[in-house]
Amino acid sequence: MMLSSVVRNLFSKPATRPFPVSARTAPDGYRGAVAFEEDVCIYCGACATRCPANAICVDRVAKSLDFDPFKCVQCGACAEACKKGCVQLQIDYQHPVTVHGTVTFHGAPKPTEAP
Amino acid sequence: MAQRTVIPFGPQHPVLPEPIQLKLTLKDEIVEEALPHIGYVHRGVEKAAERMDYTQNVFLVERICGICSFIHALCYCQGLERLMGLEVPRRAAYLRVIWSELHRLQSHHLWLGLYADAFGFESLFMEFWRCREMLMDIFEKTAGSRVIISACCIGGVRRDISDQHLQETLDTLEALEAAFDKSSDVMLNDYTVKKRTVGKGVLPADKAILLGAAGPVLRASGVEQDARQTGFAAYDELRVEPVVETAGDCYARAKVRIRECRQSLDLVRRAIAGLPDTDIAVRPKGRPNGRTISRVEQPRGELLYFLAANGTQKLDRLRVRTPTFANVAPLVHMLPGCEVADVPVIVLSIDPCISCTER
Repeated sequence: MMLSSVVRNLFSKPATRPFPVSARTAPDGYRGAVAFEEDVCIYCGACATRCPANAICVDRVAKSLDFDPFKCVQCGACAEACKKGCVQLQIDYQHPVTVHGTVTFHGAPKPTEAP
Repeated sequence: MAQRTVIPFGPQHPVLPEPIQLKLTLKDEIVEEALPHIGYVHRGVEKAAERMDYTQNVFLVERICGICSFIHALCYCQGLERLMGLEVPRRAAYLRVIWSELHRLQSHHLWLGLYADAFGFESLFMEFWRCREMLMDIFEKTAGSRVIISACCIGGVRRDISDQHLQETLDTLEALEAAFDKSSDVMLNDYTVKKRTVGKGVLPADKAILLGAAGPVLRASGVEQDARQTGFAAYDELRVEPVVETAGDCYARAKVRIRECRQSLDLVRRAIAGLPDTDIAVRPKGRPNGRTISRVEQPRGELLYFLAANGTQKLDRLRVRTPTFANVAPLVHMLPGCEVADVPVIVLSIDPCISCTER
């Protein structure tokens, strides 16, 4: 058996892909990077309560959301908790960044009353 | 005149995937005594579980061990379901069996590869890991992640497997079985492999029971015990007969795991064939209160969770008893009398998972 695999490996292509010429795509339903839709979000904080890694911090009064992608474990608990469907896990994985820090989202400002 | 030497084996050693140290007292080339030292990967998971919400703990306990993450979550959820009086839908129970057995398969493939590497058979190591990649792809398709699959939740499972994915899983398992048959044939019948494994690290049945061995180590010594016989998840309908060998040596332990791989393939196929069409989860109501013990069968043996809840969102105590911890005492018994060159093979034969052990 081992001799046959030696012969097979001698005449077969490499098992690895020539990245980035042919990149591997993740299947549907893959739990990748978390994405927020800040226009739809009502800043209720349900995602922050459910997050096991404390990666989300919501200020309900100021209507802002801090997300730390380095703490995120991509479990999908936030997407399940969100009533508005504004938290989703993308098919793409979390890309590396050059600066370590949180990403802040803000709600739309309240319409100013007419004088 | 024979000279005594003490050799530190580990915590960093090419054969060890995770850190454990064994202080070996040698008399020439023969091991006289082995003293284990653990504590290199302690992460305080049990204490962290007391500070987090009981629903968040599902994701925490999965991270105790990457190789059998689903089974840790299953054991935890099963305990909480008992405390909260939840009846898991049958489809969820069957899906739990499918994912558990796929985890057992990939864990045994991982071990068979590492074991081949321990006696220097690198091409066999690659053959087993090539097969394992097929299983990782199944996890990615069905659960959304390769290692920490996060598919289990309190009351059932978090996602269903579509008919198309079930068929793809069956097709992949067929290809896997053909490749596995060839690789396992080398592991069981090759002259050089047998030379390194037969008669090494013998653990008699009486000693295995006395020292509290668990899982394949116990079953390779001829003791018929498997936590799946208790009938958790859907194992009450999918009956499992424990795989038993009697020799108690490294060869028998490999043989038990190879036969368990075939058993797991059969179980996944039976579970897919009999998959009921019900809901996949029930919504938990109220908060857990009381104390319970939950037992499941991990690839390495019996896993036990003790849960103490007090009616609030946080648990009073979570205690985890992992099979590798149970197998360290039998390992210390196996090593005296063996040659120093056989130590890596014997240490690997218990399938040590130190991250599980230290939590």
